[in-house]
Amino acid sequence: MSSISLPPGLAGPIGSPAQPSGEAPPRLPREAPKFWLAIVLSQTVRRTGARIGLAWVAVVVFCAVFAPFLANSRPLLIKQNGAWSSPVIQSMNWADVALLLLTAIAITLFFLRRILSGRWLAISTLGSIFIVPIVCYHVFPEQDNARLGRFRQMQASGELQNVVWAPIRYSPEDHQRDSFDRNRPHPQKPSDANALGTERIGASVLSRMIHACRIALAVGFIAEGIAVVIGVIVGGLMGYFAGWVDLLGMRLVEIFSSIPSMYLLLTFVAFFGRDLYLIMVIIGITSWTGYAYFTRAEFLRLRKQDFVLAAVASGVPTWRVLFTHILPNGLTPVLVSLSFGVASAILVESTLSFLGLGPEDTASWGSLLNQAVAAGGGFYWWLATFPGIAIFLTVFSYNLIGEALRDTLDPRFQGRAR
Amino acid sequence: MLNYVIRRLLLIFPTLIGITLVVFGTMSLSPGGVGANLLSEEGSMRPQEREARRKYLNQRFGLDKPFVVQYGRWLNNVLPIGWKYNDAGVSTGVGFKVPDLGRSFVRERPVVDMIAESLPATLLLNVLTIPFIYAIAITSGVYAAKNQGKWMDVGTGTAFLALWSIPSMWAGVMLIGFFASKDYVQIFPTGGLHSTESGTMQFLPAWGANGFSRGYLLDAVWHLTAPVLTMTYGGFAFMSKVMRASVLDNLSADFVRTARAKGVSDRVTLFRHVLRNSILPLITMASSLLPGLLGGSIIVERIFSINGMGRLGLTAIEQRDSEVVLSITLVASMLTLTSILIADFCYTIADPRVSYE
Repeated sequence: MSSISLPPGLAGPIGSPAQPSGEAPPRLPREAPKFWLAIVLSQTVRRTGARIGLAWVAVVVFCAVFAPFLANSRPLLIKQNGAWSSPVIQSMNWADVALLLLTAIAITLFFLRRILSGRWLAISTLGSIFIVPIVCYHVFPEQDNARLGRFRQMQASGELQNVVWAPIRYSPEDHQRDSFDRNRPHPQKPSDANALGTERIGASVLSRMIHACRIALAVGFIAEGIAVVIGVIVGGLMGYFAGWVDLLGMRLVEIFSSIPSMYLLLTFVAFFGRDLYLIMVIIGITSWTGYAYFTRAEFLRLRKQDFVLAAVASGVPTWRVLFTHILPNGLTPVLVSLSFGVASAILVESTLSFLGLGPEDTASWGSLLNQAVAAGGGFYWWLATFPGIAIFLTVFSYNLIGEALRDTLDPRFQGRAR
Repeated sequence: MLNYVIRRLLLIFPTLIGITLVVFGTMSLSPGGVGANLLSEEGSMRPQEREARRKYLNQRFGLDKPFVVQYGRWLNNVLPIGWKYNDAGVSTGVGFKVPDLGRSFVRERPVVDMIAESLPATLLLNVLTIPFIYAIAITSGVYAAKNQGKWMDVGTGTAFLALWSIPSMWAGVMLIGFFASKDYVQIFPTGGLHSTESGTMQFLPAWGANGFSRGYLLDAVWHLTAPVLTMTYGGFAFMSKVMRASVLDNLSADFVRTARAKGVSDRVTLFRHVLRNSILPLITMASSLLPGLLGGSIIVERIFSINGMGRLGLTAIEQRDSEVVLSITLVASMLTLTSILIADFCYTIADPRVSYE
């Protein structure tokens, strides 16, 4: 990945002034100058593999954001004593609100992307990612999940004049005790009431799978976000300063890549407990070496180039040389490994959940898969098949996107984008 | 070469110290530190028992000493070479010794014994898996590269990406659920490495008085098929893609054009010139494959009820047997380190151009 041929017209580094020429420059369409990254991304999106991958990721994102409206024991709308109300909205917790708000902000920014400058886009994106969840966490209290079946009872007793249910009528925590049948113990096969069956303590599998999209996305992005930050900083310093910093850094990379991360995760879970955020941090801490490696190679390549020397000569502080001059030019290989990294982080989390060491009481694909083979030798095929397909499709999608990105960047594939 | 070997061996030490620091740091930074199991079970322990454990922890870790001393003491204990102490805690000099990985308080046994029992199963799984991965990857990679752009190549490319994305726990659960159950198809055994009656079997399969007996060897093969299959497919799918890219790279290299121009046949070019150069990235890749394989064997051991290190670790976590968990991580890291080293040496043998002067 050391030599990447640039698309025509972009042979210079980002931000370098246009080549002065004697003749009148040809009239260009009035458009903001595009980042190389933007060009790479738009070329990637044209590939079939990337489109399939993005489509499935979009489905997962949709399920994650609108989970309470898709699967909930509380109706979307009820009419009680002549007045309409919405139990779903009344019972939203901070994560629901934060996700909806972030989605709204993301859509707004997408439409404003031509008006706002790149810097403001970056600041508002990063700002809202950090601020919105914190604000929501302090404003909206955690809701209790007690008596989730009460709306079904109210409807049965005729207390409600009108009810609009969510497409799936069960919350992930709803163990359906009101419909418990001694002759049909849980887990139950797929039926009319539960399209994909129920799990061991009676919650709807489909509902849990929809809510589990959140964990999959969160682990993918938070864990790999941490890994990218560590990897880019370490790799950048190694590549830019070279010499003994590089030697020391490479030893660090070697140490971390020779620790089998699965065993380290087990150790951490054993000593610190089964906490979702801790698991994300550990995945991040153990998987940064790949990013460091790629960033180092890019920085080594760029450190003696003219635009960097010019920046240093004109007295730009070192951190700005590193992060505003070199980094944007050396970010693309990181993007490829980020896509593969998100896939493997999702895999690691579902593996932990499968081993029974994942976060407690949270809906997760891996923990559903864990219940498929009973200790007594029984096999509940619906608990193996559906969550397994969900994990597989998500991992496959990220890998497809990663491969499309790599093909776009690969000079051998230039001009053969399909 | 000798120079390189020595340098490589010297570099183990910083890596070793780094790994042990991470492992020990995890333990001592955790809530309650090393002595946590003393506190959490305080109520349920008899006074003498607690006193014995406290004495053990103080002697082993020196809990009243600063972190550096604690770490040094622990490191000295787990290394196979260092200061030896007798039972009374008096130094008897420097030399080789049996590494002391601590005691399991749940099973009342030294951890070294428990690991010695479970390590062979894990090693067997991993050692069996690697040749399969490489054989399939090299064959299919060369085949795909030879037919570059044809539908076979494109098809296997996507199929291998899909295969690589299949979580191994899903594959394992589906295999054991559908192919080892009375309700569906019963091809594979439900778990373990041997049948219970394998002790009385003769070694090789044979036709006896009462029909066919599969013998010890075939019995083991039968038990190993599903676990090895689960561990193999992801690896060869990934490696095959690496191999294909590498063969393609070499096919367009100058030395291949020269060989063709001299009139060397396609076959000889491919197998004598290209293949040897193309395997090099696969050897490099081994260093990232091996930690993954070791981690994957935890899942496989769990699904197929094989008494290996991963299963030992999982039970230890459930029982909060901290020193067992710690030792297993340490042993797994050592294994990875050793295998990376072996891969490095293989690389220098396979590629005479590599010089580390």
